[in-house]
Formats: sequence, structure tokens, C-alpha cells
Amino acid sequence: MTTMMDRPASTPGHSAPKKALIERLNIFTAFGLGIIGAIVFWYLAKAILPANTDGSYIKSNRDQYVLLAMIGWLIGFMTGIGALVGPFRWLLGKDLSHEENLFYAGKDQGVKRYFRYTTDHKVVGIQYLVTTMVVFFVGGVLAMLIRTNLGHAGGGWLQPQTYNAIVGMHGIIMIVATIIMVTGPFGNFIMPIMIGARDMAFPRLNALSLWLIIAAIPCILSSIFLGGIPTGWVAYNPLASQGPPGQDGYIMFICIFALSTMVAGANITTTVIKMRAKGMTWNRTPIFIYGVVASVALALPAFPFFFLSQVLSAMDRATGSTFYDTRGGGSGWLYENLFWIMGHPEVYVILIPAVAALMEMAPVFTRRPLFSFNMAIMGIAGISGLSVLVWAHHMYTTGWAPLLNGPFMLTTELISIPTGLLFLVLIGTLWRGRLWMTMPTASIYALLWNFMIGGVTGIYLSDVPIDGALHGSMFVTAHFHYTLMGAGLTGAIASLVYWFPKMTGRMFDKTLSWIGFWFVQIGFNIAFIGMFLVGLAGQPRRVGSYAALFDRGNMITTGGAYLIMSGMLVLLYGVISSWTHGAKAPMNPWFAKTLEWSVPNPVPLENFDVLPVVTSDAYGYGKAQS
Amino acid sequence: MSDLETQKRPSVFARKDVKQTVYLWVIFTAIIGYVSATVQARSMGASASETMSTTIHMIRVFTWVVAPVAGLIAAMAATTLIAKMHFGDTPPDEADHQIRNSPRATSTWLIVSSLLCLFAVVWGTIVLQRDNAAILDPAAMNVNVTGQQWVWNFDYVDNGTVRSADLYLPVNKPVVFHVTSKDVIHSFWIVQMGIKIDANPGYVTETSVTPNKIGIFDIRCAELCGLYHAFMQTKVHVVSQADYAAWIKSQGGQA
Repeated sequence: MTTMMDRPASTPGHSAPKKALIERLNIFTAFGLGIIGAIVFWYLAKAILPANTDGSYIKSNRDQYVLLAMIGWLIGFMTGIGALVGPFRWLLGKDLSHEENLFYAGKDQGVKRYFRYTTDHKVVGIQYLVTTMVVFFVGGVLAMLIRTNLGHAGGGWLQPQTYNAIVGMHGIIMIVATIIMVTGPFGNFIMPIMIGARDMAFPRLNALSLWLIIAAIPCILSSIFLGGIPTGWVAYNPLASQGPPGQDGYIMFICIFALSTMVAGANITTTVIKMRAKGMTWNRTPIFIYGVVASVALALPAFPFFFLSQVLSAMDRATGSTFYDTRGGGSGWLYENLFWIMGHPEVYVILIPAVAALMEMAPVFTRRPLFSFNMAIMGIAGISGLSVLVWAHHMYTTGWAPLLNGPFMLTTELISIPTGLLFLVLIGTLWRGRLWMTMPTASIYALLWNFMIGGVTGIYLSDVPIDGALHGSMFVTAHFHYTLMGAGLTGAIASLVYWFPKMTGRMFDKTLSWIGFWFVQIGFNIAFIGMFLVGLAGQPRRVGSYAALFDRGNMITTGGAYLIMSGMLVLLYGVISSWTHGAKAPMNPWFAKTLEWSVPNPVPLENFDVLPVVTSDAYGYGKAQS
Repeated sequence: MSDLETQKRPSVFARKDVKQTVYLWVIFTAIIGYVSATVQARSMGASASETMSTTIHMIRVFTWVVAPVAGLIAAMAATTLIAKMHFGDTPPDEADHQIRNSPRATSTWLIVSSLLCLFAVVWGTIVLQRDNAAILDPAAMNVNVTGQQWVWNFDYVDNGTVRSADLYLPVNKPVVFHVTSKDVIHSFWIVQMGIKIDANPGYVTETSVTPNKIGIFDIRCAELCGLYHAFMQTKVHVVSQADYAAWIKSQGGQA
């Protein structure tokens, strides 16, 4: 592995003036240039593009302007943050100097490095953590608006247009938040240390993936002012083509986010394959690493489809093409296919790293080895492999290809076998362990409970005749909240508490973590069991008002949602208060054996003075049998 | 296992925690199976077709089939929770073993879960085949369903040019719906009959059902279709054959 130390230092005089430029770039210049870029592109588009008068499929020029302005925003933002400095230098035939690389790594910059294009994986991890929490906060506020509106019968106080826009926004924001919630903060901060590396394989790509997400977020937030996304998070065409310009915000958000995910996927995969410490064979690689790699490796084939689906959508809106318009030879089914070819691997992109993180914690908190490491890997690999073959189970009732319903039912139900292995590994590790009760330990039990309910209801839905009754109902909504939130988010919050000492140097407040845990878990189960019941009784998804028969169930769900909100606010307060003045954390508070606990707090710039050599796996807990 | 080994290692079922788990397993399986099967079946309410009855039955059976698995995990989890628990800032003693694997446990688990999965697939396929065959029934009547923002229209093509916004169906007669849309994607859902098919602009999709109960049931749109999606609902009136013929005549069609 090449470290920055190995490179010859360039002469200081040579690089001094250039250094001044990169020192001046930060998040403020990024937003400034981004806004300027958007304005410039808007007016250029207005000046250059011909006005639409020929009565084609395009109703007006507004989508062209909005899309181009957002492209201008992206270019301006990435220039302003300094993402183009490196590539530009390459074009000029000279790479960054040693000092500049150290500068980019955030050496001796204190808090400022968190607002710059910093390449240090630990800085990127913290940036991801804060970004994820902000995005969750926005998504959570939207969720509470939805639940408040559905709290009493006959609709509520939100207009249908507003309600639909909020539902779509909540959906896509939460999907993105859950996709990045584990691989972002912990995959970046913890993973390289865990495998005994000094940084990621491509540190600048790492910064790129983070800042692409930050550039994408204003696109989706701008939708609020452009009419929203009244199409649900799936944005099916042709409904989406009717949508307001807010839909363009969705399209750009997805495109930029997909780029970010692909960049991160290539980076993380390469890092894990090439940069594990000496002696860390695949048998000795911690299971969390498998989870992270499976997640990002799945994203690699999946997200290009997402990207493509939205590019075609943008072309339909802005250029009058008819990929999804039957009047011009297109098909809405094409969109549905492209979308779900991404959409089903994506749920495992969310789920696998969260479960793998809990598997990583299980031996630590039971003081015994992980039960059946090989089955854990087989489970992860099996789910990943099968997940690319199941997308059309989202389309059983679309009428697209009824003959394929049988085969897709088969592949979908096969996933229950590797998923069962994950349960086996977790329960097998808890069994006969010496239980150390912490909030992450309790989260393992919570995951078993929630994921069992989410998984079993998934088996019902995978059955074509049952899906005929339940598809598009609140039952589906409750099902995927049980998997993505009950299992996924539970794992992510446990990861936060578990790795908080290493990431911030302070312990997460124990009392607050327990209060938050119980509020969230109890509220969650109340909310979504209520939602299962109204779904079974026949309440459709994404409706702002409903028949009186669903009153009680919705009331229960809304009550549960407020409990979740209370718990989440407690956790948020816990994060802030523990981060600012929590108890100083020892180097290895959990007495765990993975490598990230062998480095001091705060973690030094290149993690290890001497790269570690690994001689066994990290699960050697328990007393040896005499 | 040889005799010698048997003497050294008593049967696992002699261990206290295993015994406890087995008792809990039986109890939890019964509770989980009964409570969730009953609650789900009750929530789904009255069924108005064989399709819906089968669906409710399948959910009930799937629940009972999965209950032992969920019950086992719940029982094992409960046993580990009942055992001595350690709170505090330093870890408890190490566990008194270093077991990393149990080929017997994992292979049993794999075989059982594969068999359960096989059962679900085979049964699902059989029911699916029956539903698919029903679309080809030559004795069935045909109704064209057209969705548009935000109403449903029904054309009784076997009875001349009758069109209605409420659906009327004769009881115990198979019916095939030919579903399409004028604008965006809708989804035609007769809630109490357990059938659903998307209405796509430019394409015709099919589904079929045989109503077996006289009464008024709900039709809802199950795919977000814009502003008033929540209000895109209507009723289906299932009536006797004679009443149906009379209704068709009153609408100017030939019964």
C-alpha cells in the first residue's frame, strides 16, 4: 500500500500559490458557485432554447430550464467544493503535491476539515453521519405530517396535492437515508480501520461520493417549492410525466445519488479486496466487512438501472421522447422494470449491512464466538445473488407478464432460505452466551422480533394469489417498514451507539440510549401492527383520506408514530449531548477484538503507526475447553 | 454416536436451558399461531369470492406453518434473556465454551427451511394455476373496465352497449375483467373478492373472479394515480341472476 509518506515531497515554493486556491474552497464556496451555476444555466437555457409552440408532448419549456439549472448547480457545486482540482491537475500533467495531499487529508485543520473536500475516511465518515441524521430528520418530519394527517377520519387538514407531495418526498428521502445509514458513516469511518488499512483505496473518490450526495440533497428539497413529488417514491410514468417541475428535482436527485453510490461502491469494494491487513484472509475478515461489501457490490449493478430509468424519464419530460408513453410506442412497464431491477436489490443494500453490523456486535456482547461464520457468509451471499432475480414480484398485479409470476414467486420465496440463515447465526450466537445487556444487545433482540414479522409478511406478499389481495395496500407499507426500519434502522442506531466511542471519543449516554430504544421499539410495533390491520382490511397505500372503517387502526398507528418521534428526539438529544460533553471513551470500551478498537482515540490521521498483522479471526471469545 | 460418547455427553434434551426452550417453544408456537392467524383472518373481514376465501385460508396456513419457526426463535431468545444478565460498563466473564459451529444444527435448519419454502412455492403455484385458468373459462361473462382520473367505468360487452359507474355482477357466474386506462396507471381492486390488476394506458390486462355472495362490496384504486387517488372508489353490487337480467334490461341492454 502506498501511503502519502512514501511520496517525495515537492518543493514548497512551487506549490505555494496553488495551495492558496484549494485552501479557500469549502462548503460555502460550493453553495455559492452552485447557486451561480444554476442561475447562469437557467438564463442560458432561456436565451438559447427555442420556445415550444408546436403542440408536441412537451407542455412547456419549464422542465428543460429546471433540469439544466440543476445540472448547472451540480457543476458549480462540485467546482466550488474543489472536486475538480485533482482531475484538472491531471489534465495539466501534474499530480497534487505531498503538502496538498496532506491538506486534502485534513491534517491539522480542526473542525474546518469537516466543511471541505477532505479525503480522510474518518472525516468522510463523520460527514456521512451528520448528513444521514439531517436527512432522517427531514424524512421524519414528513412522516409525522403524514401520520398527523391520517390521525382522524375522512382526510385531514392537508390538501390532496400537498399530501401526495409529502408522501413521495418522505418515501424517497427515507430510502436514500436508509441506503447510506450504515455503509456511509460506518462503512467509511470504521471499515478501513477494521481491515487494518490507512485509508480507502481511492480517498478522493470517497470525498466525491459524499459531496455528490450533499449536492443532490438541495435538488430534492427544491422540489418542495416546485410542486413536490405527488407520485409516491416510485414516480411511475406516465403519472410522473404529468407531475410538476418538482419531479425534475426527483430525477436529478436520483441521478446524482446513483453516481455517488456507484463511486462509493467501486471504492469500498476495491478497498476491501486489495487493502486488508497482512494475514487477514477471507476467513478472518469480520462479518461486518462482508455486509458492507455485499451492500455496495449489489449497488454496483443495481444503481445504473436507477440512473437510466431517470434519464429516460427526464428525456420524456424535457425533449418529447416517448420511452414511457404508449402514444409514442413507449411503455409504463418499461419504467416499472427498470425501476424495480434497481428497487429490489436496493432493499438488501439497506438491510444487509445493518444485519451484518449486529452480527459483528453479537459475539462482543455475548462473549462467545460468532455462531457459524460460514453460514453468515452464505446467507449474505445467497441473499445478494438471489436479490437481482426477484424484481418483478413488485409487478405481479401490473399485468406485464402473467406467465412470469410463477418463476418470480419461486426466486422470491427462495430468498427465505438465506434470510433464515441470518436468523440462525444471530440466535445461535445469543444461545449459551454470557449476555452483556447494552442498548446494542437489546437491538439484536429487537431485530429478531421485527425482522421475523417483516420476513413472514414478505412470504405472504411473495405469494401471487395473496399479493392479489394485499398489493398496493397499507399491508405492504407496514411490511417494508418492518424490514427497512424495524430491522435496518434498528441495526443502524445500534451501530451508532456501538461505534460512537471510536468515532467521537466519547461514550453514548447509556440512559438516553435505553429510553430512546424503548420508545422507538414500542412505538414502532404499535404503529405498524396497526398499519398491518388496516392493510388487511383493505386500506390502499398513499391515500390522504379513508373510509370510516379504518379509523381505529389509523389512530393506533398515529399514536405509535408519536411514540417513535419521542424516542427519536431522545436519541438525537443523546447524540448531541454525548458528542459535546459525554464521558471520555476508553480505547476499547466493549473489550472487542476487531482492529478498530486497537487504535487510540482520537484515531490518528493514518490510523496505524505500524500496519497490523492478523493471525486469527476476531471472534476468539469464550473460555477454551480444557 | 458411539456408546462411549453417549456416556460422556448426555443428551442435549437433559440440559435445563434446552428443556426450558422446548416448553417455551410449544407455548410460543401456539400463541403466535393462534393470535396472528385469528387477528389476520378477522381483519380481512368477510369474503365475497372463492379467490378471497382461498387467500384468507392461505394466510392462515402460512401463519401456522411459520409459527413453529418464529416460536423457536422466540423461545431461544427468551431463554437467553431469562438466564443471568449482566449490566455494567465492563464485560461479564467470558462464556464457558468456544463453540463456533454445529453442523447438525445448521443442516437441520437448512433442510427444514428449504422444505417450508418448497411447500410455499408448490401450494402458491397450484392456486396461481387455478386463477390463471379461470381467465380462459369460455362460460364466463366479460366486463370491460376503464380507469381514468378518478373514476371507473364498466362496459358490459356481452349485453350490448351498457355502461355504468357502479359495477353490477350476477352471483355465482364467472366474470373476466378486461382492464385498461385512459391516462395514467390505475389498479382495479375489488377488496372483498381479493383480486387486483393494473389498468395501463394503451394495454388491456385481464383478471377474473366468481362472486359467491350477494351484497355490496368495495372497489378501490390501488395505484397512486394523482390528485384524487384516495377518492377513486366505487361499489360492486352482486345480485341474483334474475335481478342482474332486470338491471341490464333497465339500462337498455339485452340480457
